[in-house]
This record gives sequence, structure tokens and C-alpha cells, in this order.
Amino acid sequence: MKLSWRSLRVWVQSLSFLFLLYLILQAAFPLETRLPVDLYLRLSPFIGIISLISQKEFILRMLPAFGVLLFVIVLGNFFCGWFCPMGAAIDFFDRVLFREKKRKRPLDDRPLRKIRYGVFVFALAAGLMGWQLMFLLDPISLITRTLVIAFFPPAVYIYNQLLPLVQKFLPENPFILTSAPLPLFQINILIFLFFVGILSLGVIRRRFWCRYLCPLGTLFSLTSRLRLFRRSVSADCVHCLKCVKECPVGAIPEEKPESYRQHDCITCLRCTDCPPKAVSFGLERPKWEAAPAPSLSRRYVVGSLALGLFSALTVKTNPLQTGTARKNSRMIRPPGALPEEQFVRVCTGCGECLKVCPNNALQATFLEAGLAGFYTPRLVPRIGYCEEHCNFCGRVCPTEAIRPLPMEEKRLVQMGIAHIDKTRCIAFEKDKICMVCNEQCSYHAIIGDDRDDKKRPIVKDELCTGCGICENKCPVEGESAIIVYTTGVQKKVTPEPPEKA
Amino acid sequence: MKDLSKSKLTRRHFLRGAAASIAAANLFSPYSWLRPSKAFGAGEPDLIIAEKGKPTQLLKAAMDAFGGMGRVVKKGQRVVIKANIAWARTPEQACTNNPELLYALIKMCYEAGAKRVAVWDHTCDNYQFCFSRSGLKKVTQDAGADIFSGHGRNVYKTVDIPKGKALKTAEYIKDVFETDVLINFPIPKQHFATELTLGLKNMMGVVWDMELLHKIDLHQCIADINTLRKPDLVVVDAIRILTTNGPKGPGKTEDPNQVMVSTDIVAVDAYGTALFKNPKTGNPYKPSEVRFIKNAYDLGLGEINLSKVRIKKVQGA
Repeated sequence: MKLSWRSLRVWVQSLSFLFLLYLILQAAFPLETRLPVDLYLRLSPFIGIISLISQKEFILRMLPAFGVLLFVIVLGNFFCGWFCPMGAAIDFFDRVLFREKKRKRPLDDRPLRKIRYGVFVFALAAGLMGWQLMFLLDPISLITRTLVIAFFPPAVYIYNQLLPLVQKFLPENPFILTSAPLPLFQINILIFLFFVGILSLGVIRRRFWCRYLCPLGTLFSLTSRLRLFRRSVSADCVHCLKCVKECPVGAIPEEKPESYRQHDCITCLRCTDCPPKAVSFGLERPKWEAAPAPSLSRRYVVGSLALGLFSALTVKTNPLQTGTARKNSRMIRPPGALPEEQFVRVCTGCGECLKVCPNNALQATFLEAGLAGFYTPRLVPRIGYCEEHCNFCGRVCPTEAIRPLPMEEKRLVQMGIAHIDKTRCIAFEKDKICMVCNEQCSYHAIIGDDRDDKKRPIVKDELCTGCGICENKCPVEGESAIIVYTTGVQKKVTPEPPEKA
Repeated sequence: MKDLSKSKLTRRHFLRGAAASIAAANLFSPYSWLRPSKAFGAGEPDLIIAEKGKPTQLLKAAMDAFGGMGRVVKKGQRVVIKANIAWARTPEQACTNNPELLYALIKMCYEAGAKRVAVWDHTCDNYQFCFSRSGLKKVTQDAGADIFSGHGRNVYKTVDIPKGKALKTAEYIKDVFETDVLINFPIPKQHFATELTLGLKNMMGVVWDMELLHKIDLHQCIADINTLRKPDLVVVDAIRILTTNGPKGPGKTEDPNQVMVSTDIVAVDAYGTALFKNPKTGNPYKPSEVRFIKNAYDLGLGEINLSKVRIKKVQGA
């Protein structure tokens, strides 16, 4: 029995990770899965709560997160040990790569344990002020983003490299295998290193991130005090301390292994692997009392709170977060994005929209959108343009930072306006018959100048949506000769009246 | 004369041969000996236009007059159809090929004994949206053919263009280049940059860097590309054509309800120009007003002068 529980957990955990991987891969054309591809993000109560308090508005899509929270309150924290894909990745690498350093005495981690409460209070306070830290701290957003930005492109790269080899073994026709367009993301190295950093903390302690930093875990700790699914130790306990060593989150105190810190326990059931079979789990009456939690002084909590509030204020008063700096810049938000201030309040930077975009048009920002807009999506037309009949980014956004607009409405969202650089455009400079921008434009927003025979483009601002197909396809080397600038606020363009046939 | 005297051609031989050939030609067409002698089959017309009827009937009527698909597709051959699926538009908007006609064309290739038919295009919009919105992926697969897009660079191969005047080298879709039979399947549209898009222009969609051609010299590049692989058959889908806002549309459409079939890509393009009105003159386009057709003619790709082309009109229903 004991072995099967443990291996069952490992199976569930691995499947959960693979399922996330599957959902991420399904975030692509034609986007017809039964389950939402952003399911895991919608299950994270940290995202649910922070987006709720920072937007001051309930996001219906995040409803499942509160269901998870309810389960945790009733049963205890089962999410981290069984379903969290970040936890699965950490467990895996702790096992195969990063061995915890051997110590004579277990590390006294009481000061470390306080960190995550401070982080959580900080995030809460900052969230209240409209600066959310989900992009940095939420484990689900973190793992999704890492997989999309840091691991998906190399996978495609390897696939493309292997294609010629595979094709050797296939008959030439009809098996023509086309290489996949390589997705490109500007800050991939940063995201990769951050992920590696988190994993290598496992050298200090197993599940370092989960024990000492993860705010989602903290939230579960705070709420699973009255859990019904509890650990109990019978009188057979011989104080061998095996469970103390095994526990991946250090929830069992060395001095008293019969008790446990019930809030820290992630219900991984590893301690049931007990030589005298003294440990068991089952439904029991909840107990408030437990082994001592880290003592949080009032000073520490208030300090974290104040730090969070003031950090949020400094971030918000940075010029990049105000309208002044945004004006006329090239920070084009995806179609249907909320107004900038609200947008950065709820965008978790999970990267789902980056993955689903069929043209690789969306890029994660680094500092271009200020500290509040870290990892938020922006349209970079020279890399990819916004497809006319596609509203995928809005459909996969877990927090509706990009609103799920119906196709007809999304088509006509004006994200920016294209401007022609007449000093570089070859129709003006070299009198070439080019008109690539005109033929690519889906909205008749670039028309030919009919005042002469030279075939030169003119942009009709009122019809241009800023989709960027013109900037993308412009044949001028380097920087395009037609560039989309944001208008600051997204609005709807009026479609050209249908022509009489 | 010097050359002639060197050859073994005696006067008797010459007269006998000339008389026989004139007699043979006269059996079918009274003035045909005036044409440059490049007839494909002795009697078939060079350009067939089918009118009136459903797309399938039009294609059948045109191909019957052409002499059947068997004239180009032999048993066990690979057939590539270069369709126009460049834009994510619906069939009614006439920016992409007519699905029913494509279906009939693929079926006809299979009936002629084709081993496998493939439909190719290097789309301008994202290929997945083009394939699904145009409805052409579905009909292609229903007809048992494969549909491919040139979005991955590994399907191309770099080829030299020895006859090219402006373009000397290009990355060309390998399958289109090497296939046994190539069918060019354009849809006529108004086009702002090149006035019109027809069969010659359709072959631009087998090149990797299409924007580059705009940069060099669009009209000449279109002609140059066509020197590489001449289509074995051109089937023009003029069921519904786009007359304004081309090539992407949506714009005004007209329904000539015609299918044109030829092996001479310049002749069929020259004929196709008359479907459209030149906004400058108010009259139908003349072939010489579309520069890429003129350039292709200059490269010897076909006949631009319609008076030298044997045209036959047939009825679909």
C-alpha cells in the first residue's frame, strides 16, 4: 500500500506536467480543444486573488481558481504535491540533477521560512496598489512562460534539424514535410536563466522555491490550517526520523516527529513510507493547533506591507507607466487589450498569447513597458503581423487582459497606425513599382496615389488597424519603410462601406 | 543560302515535304500555315474558352475540346497544381480559386491516371487561415490530393535563371520544379501594382522571397520566373473574378463564368486581359498594356498576338 501511494503521486504529478505540455502545444491553430488551453493558469488562486484585488473586478474566467482554493481549505494542500507542474519540474530536477548538500545536522531554516510570508504580503500590498507581481512569482505563470518562451523554440529548432534525416526514410511523395516556422522570442535567455536559477536552488534544499519563496504555496499554507485530510502518527513511532528526512517541504519537526506543520504539508504522502508503519493519512476532525509555525513579528509583516505599497508607488510613478512616455511609441498591445494601466494590472505574463499567435507577432517585453509591464505581450510587426481573421490571443488569456472579442469586432480594433517613411520607401526614393504594403493590407487602408502614374502608397489613417502586415512584408532592408506607431488607446475603425457590385 | 547548300536537302525533298505539310495543315484550318509552326497537336486549338454552365461542366467541356486531360497527364505521373490560395478570403470574395473547380480538376487528373496530385501555393497571409477560409484545403483532401504551403524554407531549392533579365537566381519550390506535370491554375484579378494578375503572375507564388521581386523589377521578374518551368497546362478559373481592390480584396466582383484552357501561358494571359476594363482608357485591357505579359512574350514564352492564336469557344451546358 505505502509504495503504491507514493508511486501514484509521482504518476499523477508527471501526467499533470505532461498535460500542461499538451495544453500548451494545443494553443495553436485551429484552437478547438474542449478544455481551455490556459486551464492551469485559471486554477491558480494566487492569480485569482491578485488580479481580483489589483483590478478590483471579478474575472469570471478565474472562477476555477477559487474552486481549487475551496478544496485546499477543506482538505488541505494537495495541489503543490500532486498537480503543480512547477512542483513536478522541481521534484524531477531535484531528483536527477541537483542533489541536496549532505549536512551533519539538518539546516535550521526558521529564518528562511519567513521569507515567503514576507513575499506574499509584499505581493498583496503591491497588488492592492495596482502593481501585480504575478509575472515574477506565480509558479503556474512561470512554468507556462518558461515552456513557451525558453523551451518551445529549441524544440521546433531540433524538429527542423531532424527533418532531413526523417525524410530520408520516407518516400519523397506524398510525404513532403515542411519545416515549421521557428518561433522567436526576444528575452528567451533571461527567462531560461531565471528558471535554471530557481531549479538550482534545489542544491541548498529540496523544493527550495516551494518552501521559501512560492506565494501560491504560501496562500495554500495560510488556508489549509483547518484541513480534514490529516496525518496521524501512532504510538509505534520509534523516532527513526526517516520521515523528517524524507519530507520535501520540511513540515515535520525533528524534535517531535509525531506532530507536523499541517499548513506546510503538501500531502505528498512520502512520510507514510515509515519503517514501523506508524504514519497514516485519513479524514479527521480539524485541529487548529499544530507544530509551531515561523513566528512572524508584527514588525516584519508591517514592514513587508509598507515596502510593497511604496514599491508599487515608485513603479507607478515611473514615466514609462504614465501616458506621457507611451504617446506615439511603438508599444503596440495585442488587439482587444485593456487600456494600458488596467492591462498591466492583470497580465500575468504567462506567454499563452505568445504561443498561440499564428504569426509569432507577439513578444514579451523586458523593460519597454516599465517595471509594471514586465513580460507583457507586445506586437512587433517586423517579426510577425496580426492576422486579420484570428482572435486567438484574447481567447487564451486567463485574466482577460486581452479581451476575448468576437472575430468581426477584433478585426476592426485599431492598435496603431502605419506611417510611411518616404525617405526609405522605394516607391518614393527609387520610383519602383512595389506596392507590397498596398496588396498586403486587409483593410484598404493603404491606397495607391492616383495623382500620378508612379504607384506610390498613401495610408488612410481612419481605416488602418495597425496590424503591421505592411511593416512585416516591406521589402526594404533592415528597418521597414512603413512603421506602425501606437495610438495610445485602442478603438474601433469604421469599415469601408461595402462597394456596390 | 550558304547554309542550305551545305545541307543534304535536295530541291525535290524540300518541295515534297512542303507540299505535304501545307496539305496536312489545310485539312484542319485554312490559314494555319501562316502561323509560326509550333502546333502541339495537329488540330487542337491553342486556347479554349468554355462558357455557360457549372464549374465542373465548364472544365469538362473545355478539356474535351482540348483533347482530354490525357494529353498532359500520363499514367503514373505526379501532378502539381499551382493554385492561388494567397489570401485568407472566402470563395465568394473571388480572391482565391473556386473550390468546386479545383475539386473537378483534381478528379480529372486522377481519371487520367495521375499517381498523386498535389496543390501548392506560397501564401501571403498565414497559410492555415488561407487554407481553411478559402475552403480549398477541404476540397483538395476530399478529392484525394495533398495541399502544401511554401511556408517552410526546406521545401525550396535554389535555381539559376539563365534566361532571366532581372532575376538571375531564385529559391523555387522543389516539388513544383521537379514534378512530372505542372498545371497552372490562376484566378484573374485586378492588381494594383501590376494592373492584373493572371497565369504568369500566379507563378510568383512558388518563390520564397516574393517581396524581393517587387524590389528589383516586378514585371520583368514575373516573366523571368516563368522561364524556369513552363506549365504543361494552364487552367484559368474565371468563374468569378475580382475587378477592384486586387489582389487581396474584398472588392467588386464579376461573374464571367468562364474556364480557359491552354498550354500557352502568354496567349491565355493575353486573352484574359480583356475580362477587365482599364480605368485609364475605359476600354478592356489590351495585352500589351500589362507589362509582364509583354515581357514574357519578349522572352519567347508564348504568343501575345491573339490573331495568331487558334481560339475555340465551347458551351458547358
